Amino acid sequence: MTALPALDGATVEVIRHYLNSTAEQMRRTLVRTAFNPVIYEVLDFGISMYDRNRRLISESSGVLSFLGANDYAIHKGVEKVGIENLHPGDVIMINYPYWSGAHVSDAMLFSPVFCEGSDLPDAYLAVRAHWMDLGAKDPGYVLDSTSMHQEGLIMPGIKLIRRGEPDPQIMALLRYNSRMPDTIIGDFNAQVSAIRVGERRLHQIWEKFGPATVEAAIDRIIEHGAQTAVEAVRAMPDGQWSAYDWLDDDGISYDLIKMAVTVTIEGEKFTVDYGDSDDAVPGPVNMPFGKTISLAKTVFKSLTTPNTPANHGHYQPLTVACPPGNLFHAVYPAATFTLWTGMAAFELIHKALAQGMDQIAASSGSDEPGFMAVGTHPDTGEMYAVSNNEGIGWGATPDHDGATALQHLSTTAVRNSSIEVLEHKSPIFHERLELRQDSGGAGRWRGGLGIRREVKFLAAGEMLSMKKKTKTNPWALRGGHEPKTNAMIVWPDTERAHRSRMERFSMLPGDRFRNLSAGGGGWGNPLDRSIELVREDVLDGYISAEQAEEVYGVRVEADGTAVPVGPRSDRPPPSNPPGR
Amino acid sequence: MAERRYRLAVDIGGTFVDAIAYDEQSGETTVRKSPTTPAAPADGVITATRAVGAPLDEASVYTHGTTLGLNAILERKGSVTGIITNAGFRDIFEIARGDLPRGSMYDFQYQRPPLLVRRRHTVGVPGRIDHRGEVVEELDRDAVIEAGRRLSERGVESAAVCFLHSYANSEHEETAKRILTEAFPNLSVSASVDLVREYHEYERTSTAVADAYIRPILGRYLIDLEDRLRSRGFDGSFLIMRSAGGAMTSEIARMSPLLTVFSGPAGGIAGTIDLGNATGRSSLISFDVGGTSLDSCVIVDGAPTEVYEAEIESLPIRIPVFDIRTIGAGGGSIAWIDKGLLRVGPRSAGAVPGPICYGRGNTEPTVTDASLCLGYLAADEFLGGEMSLDEEAAVQGVAEKLARPLGMSTERAAASVFDVLLARTVGAIREITVERGLDPREFSLVAFGGAGPMLAPLLAREMELPEVVVPPAPAVFSAWGMLMSDLEYDLGQTVLTMLDDAALARMESVFAHLETEADKVLAAQSVPPENRVLLRRLDLRYNGQEHTLSIDLEAADEHSAAAKFHQKHQERYGHSLKEEVQILTVRIRAIGRLDKPSGRLDGRLAVEADGAASRVGERHAFDFAARERRLFPIYRRRLLQPEVEIEGPAIIREPTAVTVIHGDQRAVPDHMGNLWVR
Repeated sequence: MTALPALDGATVEVIRHYLNSTAEQMRRTLVRTAFNPVIYEVLDFGISMYDRNRRLISESSGVLSFLGANDYAIHKGVEKVGIENLHPGDVIMINYPYWSGAHVSDAMLFSPVFCEGSDLPDAYLAVRAHWMDLGAKDPGYVLDSTSMHQEGLIMPGIKLIRRGEPDPQIMALLRYNSRMPDTIIGDFNAQVSAIRVGERRLHQIWEKFGPATVEAAIDRIIEHGAQTAVEAVRAMPDGQWSAYDWLDDDGISYDLIKMAVTVTIEGEKFTVDYGDSDDAVPGPVNMPFGKTISLAKTVFKSLTTPNTPANHGHYQPLTVACPPGNLFHAVYPAATFTLWTGMAAFELIHKALAQGMDQIAASSGSDEPGFMAVGTHPDTGEMYAVSNNEGIGWGATPDHDGATALQHLSTTAVRNSSIEVLEHKSPIFHERLELRQDSGGAGRWRGGLGIRREVKFLAAGEMLSMKKKTKTNPWALRGGHEPKTNAMIVWPDTERAHRSRMERFSMLPGDRFRNLSAGGGGWGNPLDRSIELVREDVLDGYISAEQAEEVYGVRVEADGTAVPVGPRSDRPPPSNPPGR
Repeated sequence: MAERRYRLAVDIGGTFVDAIAYDEQSGETTVRKSPTTPAAPADGVITATRAVGAPLDEASVYTHGTTLGLNAILERKGSVTGIITNAGFRDIFEIARGDLPRGSMYDFQYQRPPLLVRRRHTVGVPGRIDHRGEVVEELDRDAVIEAGRRLSERGVESAAVCFLHSYANSEHEETAKRILTEAFPNLSVSASVDLVREYHEYERTSTAVADAYIRPILGRYLIDLEDRLRSRGFDGSFLIMRSAGGAMTSEIARMSPLLTVFSGPAGGIAGTIDLGNATGRSSLISFDVGGTSLDSCVIVDGAPTEVYEAEIESLPIRIPVFDIRTIGAGGGSIAWIDKGLLRVGPRSAGAVPGPICYGRGNTEPTVTDASLCLGYLAADEFLGGEMSLDEEAAVQGVAEKLARPLGMSTERAAASVFDVLLARTVGAIREITVERGLDPREFSLVAFGGAGPMLAPLLAREMELPEVVVPPAPAVFSAWGMLMSDLEYDLGQTVLTMLDDAALARMESVFAHLETEADKVLAAQSVPPENRVLLRRLDLRYNGQEHTLSIDLEAADEHSAAAKFHQKHQERYGHSLKEEVQILTVRIRAIGRLDKPSGRLDGRLAVEADGAASRVGERHAFDFAARERRLFPIYRRRLLQPEVEIEGPAIIREPTAVTVIHGDQRAVPDHMGNLWVR
């Protein structure tokens, strides 16, 4: 083994690469060995590595919403088990939502790792993944629970493996409480495989560099992360800004629910307080506090240090506050299964900061507006369940138009579903999939466009409209216009046409639905948009000639020429053409 | 007629055009490099062809690897392209899949790269086929004519035609293509089913669009180049390298221009497989390090993994390619200080301005500059002495930009650049093996590309790999691989049915149909029947899964096919399931066997010299085993004697590459001219 000389900026970087690659190898092991597509395709998992003080060293996740989710749970987990009760080879499970920072289905497993001769853990490895079923009241997704006890089997920090030996009693408990025992046991094994790969690599790194050198390197890595984040926060203006937005309802009543945040930047401190939000509600849209912290961390990281794998230092400037009992700090036994609040609230920090900072984009559709279809396939007689996450228009920025038809900010690794795959797996038939003209908020920079999808059921089945922000519009900035919002119209163009919320419908053969996804908010006064860009947008049909004339003050003639109508600033076209 | 004793291969890279000539009579090879000429790519090809010296009228085969199509897409220099699709679905291409590239996950102001097709150039026409391939609505032929007219009027030169479920029934696409070709002879038409017979409408559309986008320019380029070669007396076969290995005639390449886009690294993989066959190794990792990137591919049982999911800048291209992983780290990668930490890459100085030592204005130290500081490169022998390097400037750059802020000696700073680069590389290689459940310590590392042989022995030390093999002339190994290629062609058809004996019996007619088509393609490339090989393959998956695995179908019974699939799934993903197995795609790989060079590359290079004669000098360089500067003997590779061991540390030079072995390593040349480092 190479003996590297004393610690310096190069050795730290070498060790950093080894540690980051360890997390990445754990990720690939999990994806390779997982049984359920929610892990290997939807990428619903998060992997983290901690030092002995439970400071994050490195992480690797699938979707963004899993970032930082383990940080809260590892503290709670060690606290509940007791550090003196941890031994080499142990694997502990935690999914009690108020400690694990996620809903019951997201099972976090963690292991302590010991250097040779250590009595207490020198590191921890955590792998969280979405399990298909833990015995909740309904199979699949739960939309209307009113208590944690309807949401599945709870493991409040229980050893599944003791000193390398799986506990057969606990495994039986898991197995007999799940509707899909083989799948969850398969995923459990995949998570353990990932942890074991991480353990082996950590031991190799300790052996190669020496535990003391590794520890010193971790200090430097975290210090470096903190310096970078602090610098980024210092570059932001000091101030305090509040913003609020609305969630459609909790699935039980029809009342709008207020989500509010106050962001305070003071020197190198960045504080996020959700305390002005509504109190926790009966339905399952409440957020465990760990989930709220994870949400704030993701947004904070995107604003400060987007391009490096996260470590503890990157979050040093951030404080997240919210009193227990709030929508954003659910306490036992509040229902937490439906995670849509985390998506609808994702842009709240942006909305607050936009009041004091220039480099913020307008709202990117506010929600992830999908649908599911379930039923029995007439050709096979077997059950089918398909789903689609619809793209939305992203918000315009101070420099360019918003992107069109992308996934929600919090799920940027997920893909929409192919029409051809949907039509193979389920008796639905697409009649239209197009961009939704005029759906992007008008502005000097235009919001991206949403989507219009029209689907016919060929056989009886059920359709679930999956969206929690249809009653209020996404927001715009600096005189830009609000975009069109999400909508699901069931039985469109008929007498019983119904604009739905997040709910479930029985569909008969020939029944249709129309899914309309939101555009992005506009940025700046539309009368300041260059005539040339308005003309191009009309030629490409992103906006109608009517909108060009009424909102942008530009008449585009049949021959393609464009003339201003009424007063407008008539700016020359920008040198940096917009992205579409 | 002149005797055809030469085989030529010419490969265009980002920086250099590599040319290799193999003389079948003498067994000798000649290699040359010339600068790439981006403005007129054929010029650089002709220059390199001339430089290599083999008379064109004595050449039997001229194999060409070109990245012209790839560059046209990356630089948006292709034709004005339109899309004709189903009415109501004209935005399938623009809507895409909605996901962000993995590196941009946090970029909440992400802008998509400019689209290859503007929305105004997309038209929907009535007509619909369902997932069973049944016509739900007839194709409106008048609307097709009208669409062609609209696009032509708007200056569209090339049209992609893609209809929903065309993989299940290609009738509407074929009809539309025929109508358009007849009515608009100046409009180039690419139908998606000619390229991909698999579901996923966006990926099929984007494949057709990429094809349409490069078809006119690649066609013009190949015709121009072939004319120029023919006018210089060339009368042999003009072959173009494919992305998944193998070659095709230029006629096929003009018909299927997309198959060329990833051909760059394919030659190296073909060469690696050939090297494995010749030396009895079946588990190999290719390690190709050039100026800006490091390409690696894992080869198990003598075969690289193929994937059908290539991407260009997140634009999916559904053609078979080798599963090659690229790390943005090469000789040109820039080393810099980030708040006290030493970073290497991802930025690269590229070929222009290049490393500091090129003397073209760059002042940021690169990996190549660090290797000068460490004593591995000789300033006056770079590229066989055709280019001289400014060693002083390189040392000064490393001293000022790295050593001073890090508070260490210049030499240690340069060694640290290697340490960091290696740490990244170790991680990347572990990741691509661990994701397939493999242990890299069971693999031989095949090092090539300009910088591969310098770095590979270090990587082997770090990862405890048993051996490194450096082929002769490693800098032009890709071009050598091209010489070793057969003609290949792939055909596929999505079927989507459960795997059982009845289904396999039904597949017989699908196979037969594809085989007839494949055979025609080989016949059209003048492959005599006795040299035609048709391989049957099935893409299988567990019912409900999305990912498929491809198996070779030898005996057509359910039991053996399923068993093979379960086994492969176990190897690849660590488990197999009790679920039913589904056939997604039926495939034929058609191979036209070509005569291969009878000798080995540089097989005659082991001249009768004793060990002492091959030792041409010595110099101080950095030994990573001792972590200090030591005296390294310098050997001239051409003069090495087979089976005579060289003890490390040592530097082994050849005109376009240098192999560096460290104090705890030794190198042995074999009779074929390969150098083994252990």
